Amino acid sequence: MSLIPHVIVIGAGSTGSATAHDLALRGLRVTVLERGEIASGTTGRNHCLLHSGGRYCVNDKEGAIECIRENLILRRIMPHALELNDGLFVAVSDEDLAFKETFLAGCAECHIPAREIPVRQALEIEPFVNPDIRAAVQVPDGVFEPWRFCASFLATAIKNGAAVRNFTEVKDFIFQGHTVTGVTVLDHRTGETETLGADMVVNATGAWAGIIAAMAEVDVPVVPTAGVMVTIGERFNNMVINRMHLPHDGDIVVPIRNTSIIGTTSWRVTSPDAIEIPREQIDSMRQAGELLMPILKAGRQRGIMAVARPLISKANADARAFSRTFEAYNHRSQGAAGLVTISGGKTTTARGMAEKVSDIVCGELGIDAPCKTRTTPLVSYREFYN
Amino acid sequence: MSITLTLRILRSRRDVMPHYETFEVSVSDAANVLDAIEQVWAHRDRKLMFRHACHHASCGTCAVRINGREKLPCIVPVADYSGKPLTIEPLRNFDIVGDLVVDMAKFFQNQQASDFVITRPTENELVGKPIAYTGGMDPESASTIPFNRFENCVECGICLSACPTMAGDHKFFGPAGLAAIKRQLDKTTDPVERKRLLELADGEHGVWRCHSAWECTEACPQQVFPAESIMALRKEITKKHFRELFGK
Ligand SMILES: Cc1cc2nc3c(=O)[nH]c(=O)nc-3n(C[C@H](O)[C@H](O)[C@H](O)COP(=O)(O)OP(=O)(O)OC[C@H]3O[C@@H](n4cnc5c(N)ncnc54)[C@H](O)[C@@H]3O)c2cc1C
Ligand code: SF4
Repeated sequence: MSLIPHVIVIGAGSTGSATAHDLALRGLRVTVLERGEIASGTTGRNHCLLHSGGRYCVNDKEGAIECIRENLILRRIMPHALELNDGLFVAVSDEDLAFKETFLAGCAECHIPAREIPVRQALEIEPFVNPDIRAAVQVPDGVFEPWRFCASFLATAIKNGAAVRNFTEVKDFIFQGHTVTGVTVLDHRTGETETLGADMVVNATGAWAGIIAAMAEVDVPVVPTAGVMVTIGERFNNMVINRMHLPHDGDIVVPIRNTSIIGTTSWRVTSPDAIEIPREQIDSMRQAGELLMPILKAGRQRGIMAVARPLISKANADARAFSRTFEAYNHRSQGAAGLVTISGGKTTTARGMAEKVSDIVCGELGIDAPCKTRTTPLVSYREFYN
Repeated sequence: MSITLTLRILRSRRDVMPHYETFEVSVSDAANVLDAIEQVWAHRDRKLMFRHACHHASCGTCAVRINGREKLPCIVPVADYSGKPLTIEPLRNFDIVGDLVVDMAKFFQNQQASDFVITRPTENELVGKPIAYTGGMDPESASTIPFNRFENCVECGICLSACPTMAGDHKFFGPAGLAAIKRQLDKTTDPVERKRLLELADGEHGVWRCHSAWECTEACPQQVFPAESIMALRKEITKKHFRELFGK
């Protein structure tokens, strides 16, 4: 038996991938279990926006501050998986224009670099933005490619000794008294069921966290909240184009490679698997997108997709009013020592989420190992396969 | 409106011989083939193995063959097949992990061999219109950083599956890897690095193996034009050999 504690991480989305990296870097033995392809949950199908925090700087300052902090770190540790073209917040109505000062004050308060640029200049940089815009503010948004985002963290974890088993689904927990001592898995490659022992288990299954927690008979207040995105098969904007108002349906167009993605909506779903897309959501979102960039009307629709956010329920609030920040739960107090859940948050804040849950894991294991992920560059995502 | 679709999927696993299984699923008429595959997994058989992540042709994971043609099912509308049954098979010329999942290890090693960087500087235009300014803010200093883009290649492996040379020579470097060498060559002026890249392309299983079938360019969903890159590399290598033989 190895003396190094073994930690199982369930889920290879952005949260689980970053957590595997953090724990491996702290010297722990890590095994990642993912039921499908890496990033096949919410992470893969998200909007790809490396948030500057601008989107949240008025109604969710805590979330905005996390975003800009993590944005700066990711630029340093995974430059190879990012498109860095900034974001432009544009005012299209009188109301938006009236919101400008609040927006700029929010950016300043959250330390998000923001600079107003004259409308005429904004239209020279972004020739397809609605020519009637009233104001434009540039912020350091970016774009990540979600699969490569996860693969970069996992590749680095593997370099540091972690094992990643995709197509391996967790079916149940193994208990000794009130302590989780492992999991039962079904390996889809072999069709075989196995048990794996662990000193700690991290539930990093995002919108599925409640389902996984229920297997251990503990609760996690995660509310799967779906969002739709529409992809247009041509790139009409260089920067991420955001509407300058409180976050709303269809108010952001994220360009990636040679496409533009219009997003997004927000509604509660019962199951995060294979979400049905309401037609009216697509139509209303396309209309909202066209207000920002009229040319999108002519664009060829390339795909539509929907996934669920792992929103943490804090009150009986409207789906969009939930905080986008994350929570870690140590289930010891619920009779499942050895199990922790990390959920909520964003892909942009995955590293910060990993730091928080890894601190808890190390605390439980009585290990004093500082987090080193802020300054450790990640290896190429391609090494995931080495 | 929702439509009923029949999918014939090639199944296999380490302990299960390859065989076809037929599933009926109901999908929206606006759905793409990947949605239909996901519906099979969600409602018919949770053991189905398939790769997918972004659903918008950026990650490159979902490549399969639909009715014998290599495609990214995330951007192929089910409407293209007007309700006819679809046969879904894994890519050719790769080892099979299970069902529709192939082993990408060798592929990614070849992509990495040239140190192919997946980003590139932005052009000064968008859909034919000039962009006035091609730098962004560096949030940590007052300086400007150049705008960039991801490369067109999504590393899906479709070109290798479509390639007849690959079928005969499994060690062939492959269209994507050779196209990556060409892109990397375009990005560097360092003579040592250029020499290394040309030697990589000139190897025993490199550009000269290609039978010029152009199937890769035909199948590539991302306009990478790997066949053209292979031809351009041949020219560069020939020039290099000439220079080596006859001096400057
Ligand atoms: C519409 C939408 C747009 C968004 N846009 C952005 C954006 O632009 N930028 C941003 O930063 N964030 C964005 N987010 C938020 C972000 O996508 C999520 O917060 C993040 O992806 C969650 O990552 P995760 O790793 O926690 O969950 P997931 O990515 O869902 O990972 C959980 C994993 O667990 C696996 N799993 C489930 N059950 C099991 C089991 N039994 N055994 C093994 N594995 C299992 C799943 O397959 C999955 O891969 C968006 C969210 C939505 C819904
Ligand atoms: S060259 Fe085209 S077909 Fe080949 S891997 Fe790249 S994107 Fe796919």
